[in-house]
Amino acid sequence: MGSPLVLAAGEVGGDFFRERDVGDLCQAQSGHLFCWDWAKENLDRYGTPTVQHLEIVLISVLVGFVVAFALALIAHRTRWLQPPLLTATGLLYTIPSIAFFFLLIPLTGFGRDTAIIVLAAYTLQIIYRNTILGLNNVPSSVKDAARGMGFTDRQILWKVELPLAIPEIIAGLRVAVVSTIAIATLVVFINAGGLGTQIYGEGNLTFPTTVIIAMAIVMGMALLFDLVLLTVQRLTTPWRRVRQA
Amino acid sequence: MPSGESDAQSQPGASSVRYEETTKRYPGAGAPAVDKLTLEVPAGEICVLVGPSGCGKTTAMRMVNRTVEITSGDVLIGEHSVRDREPAQLRREIGYVIQQIGLFPHRTITENIGAVPQLLGWDKGRIRQRSAELLELIGLDPELGDRYPAQLSGGQQQRVGVARALAADPLVMLMDEPFGAIDPINRERLQNEFLRLQAEIRKTVLFVTHDIDEAIKMGDRIAVMREGGRVEQYATPAELLMAPANEFVEDFVGADRALKRLALMRVGDINLWEAPLAHVGQATAEVRTKLAAPDVEVPYALLVDSERRPLGWLTERDLAGDTVPRQADSPLGPVLEQDDVMRDALADLLQGESQYAPVIDHQGRIAGVLSVEIISEFLASPEAKTDEHTAAERPHG
Repeated sequence: MGSPLVLAAGEVGGDFFRERDVGDLCQAQSGHLFCWDWAKENLDRYGTPTVQHLEIVLISVLVGFVVAFALALIAHRTRWLQPPLLTATGLLYTIPSIAFFFLLIPLTGFGRDTAIIVLAAYTLQIIYRNTILGLNNVPSSVKDAARGMGFTDRQILWKVELPLAIPEIIAGLRVAVVSTIAIATLVVFINAGGLGTQIYGEGNLTFPTTVIIAMAIVMGMALLFDLVLLTVQRLTTPWRRVRQA
Repeated sequence: MPSGESDAQSQPGASSVRYEETTKRYPGAGAPAVDKLTLEVPAGEICVLVGPSGCGKTTAMRMVNRTVEITSGDVLIGEHSVRDREPAQLRREIGYVIQQIGLFPHRTITENIGAVPQLLGWDKGRIRQRSAELLELIGLDPELGDRYPAQLSGGQQQRVGVARALAADPLVMLMDEPFGAIDPINRERLQNEFLRLQAEIRKTVLFVTHDIDEAIKMGDRIAVMREGGRVEQYATPAELLMAPANEFVEDFVGADRALKRLALMRVGDINLWEAPLAHVGQATAEVRTKLAAPDVEVPYALLVDSERRPLGWLTERDLAGDTVPRQADSPLGPVLEQDDVMRDALADLLQGESQYAPVIDHQGRIAGVLSVEIISEFLASPEAKTDEHTAAERPHG
C-alpha cells in the first residue's frame, strides 16, 4: 500500500518496529491470533499511548461540549438559529476524519492541536442536538408556571429547563465520548500519538496481538466512561427513578 | 422557628383588582383580544371570568401578572398599577394556578411549594415550615412532601399547585381553568375544598373557566364575556340566573338556568310544609283528625319518636287500629338536612321516587317536609326572581 496512511503510520510507528524481534516469542505458535507471552512482556508499552489517548479525548470532548452547549443556549434564545446550526454541525460531522486531519495540517500543523480541533468538531453535532432536544422537551406548562410565579428568563433556564434537560444532554455526551475514544485512534496519522500508535503498523497485518490489546484498551475506556456518565445522570436526576403513582 | 409563621400571617391578605380600559392588541391581529375592559374585583372575593373560548378571558387574566403585556389602559392591584412594577417581582406577589398544573418534575413537593419563597430569599427553615403548613392546609399527608410530582395523583398534584400559589401569601390569585383537567368526581371535591379554603384565607381570586356551572358554583361575582373581552354582564350568580342582561347571557347561562338556581339555595332557605306528626301509642283518631284538617299540606302522617326524630310514614293500614303502631308501614325514604343544597335535595326526591321528604335540623329533629311541589312553585314564583338573600346564603362548600 502506497497510501499516505501507511506512510504516516510508518513515520510515527518508527520505534514500534524496533520491537518486532520480541514477536519471536510467539514464532512457535505462529498462526495464533493472540500471543499471551508477548502481551505479558510488553504491556508497559501501552501506558504512555493510553494516557495520551485519554488526554486527547477529554480535552476534545470538553472543548466540544463548551462550544456546542454555548451554541445550544444561543439557539434556544434565538429560535430561528436552530435549523441552520443543526445543519452546520451536521456538515462538520460528515467530513471524513482523515480528510479533515489533512485539510487542517497546513493551518495547524501535525500534532495534538489539530487532533483536538477535529475531534471536538465531531462532538458538536450530537451534543448540540441533544441539548436543544432536552430544552425543547421541557413541558411548556412547567415554563408557563415558572414564568407566572416570577422566575426570570435566566432562572427558568438554569433552575428549570437545564435540570430537566440533563438526561438528554448526558445521553449526547455519552455518544460523543464513546465515538471520540474510537475516532481518536486515527490521530496517529497526524503525529498526535494515542492508542492508534499500537494499531496502525505494517507488521500488524501478520501480528494482530498488539492490535487486539490496543482495541481492548479503547473498548474498555469507552465502556468505563459510558458507565461513569450513566452514573452521573442517575445521580443528578433522582426524580426520573421514582415510580409513578 | 415561630418567627416564620407569624411573618407569613402578618402580611396583608388581599387586594382589590381594577381593570381600567385595559386593552390587548396582538400584532397582526385585526380586532383587539381584549378591548377596553373595565371591571373591579373587590378584595377577598372570587371573580369568575367566564365565556366561550376565544373571548379573551385568559388574556384578561394574564394581564394582571403581565404574562400578557398590556397594550393600553391599566390594571391596578390595590392602588398600584401593575405597569409600574418589574414583571418578575410583581408575579411573586400573585398566586398563579394553571390547568396543566406545571409542577416542577425535578423538585420534591416541598420544594415545589417553596418555589416562590425561595425566589424571595426566605431562609431554608422558614420555607420548610411554610411548605409543611400548606400541605396541612390542603389536606395532604406531610409524608408526601419528599415525593416527586410524578408520584402523586392528578388531584393531589392540583392541590399542590394551589398550595404553591399560596406559599408567599399573595395578594391576588389567578386561576386559569384550574380544575379543567380533573375528572368530574375529583373536580367537584377540589372545588369544594377550594371554597372551604377560600372561606378561611379570603384571597382576591380571578378564576377563568368556560364552564358556567363551575362559574356559578365558585364565583362571588361572575363576568360573562364575549369576543374582545367584552363584559356582557357582571353580577352575582343569583342575579345572573334570575335576570340575564341580554340574549347572549341567557344563551350562555343555558335553558336550565331555573334548575341552576337551585344550586344556590339550601333546603332551609325555603318555607317547608308541616307534616301531621304521630307518636307511638297515640290514638289513631287524633291522627285522623289532623289529617282531615282543611289546611293540611301533607296528606300523610309522619311517625316520630319522643325526640321528634322521624321514623316512617304511616299508611291507612297503620291507622286501622286504635293506637299508632311501633313500626310504620311505609319506609321513611330520603331524609334531608336543612343545610343540603336544594339541587341535591331535588335529586334525592326524584331518585327516591318520593313526593315528600322529611327535613331534619342539626339535632336530627323534624323541621318540616320538602316536596317537589314546593320546589316547582318556588321556581315559578316572582318572589324567586327578586330574592336577594339566596345569593348571600349560597353554599360555600
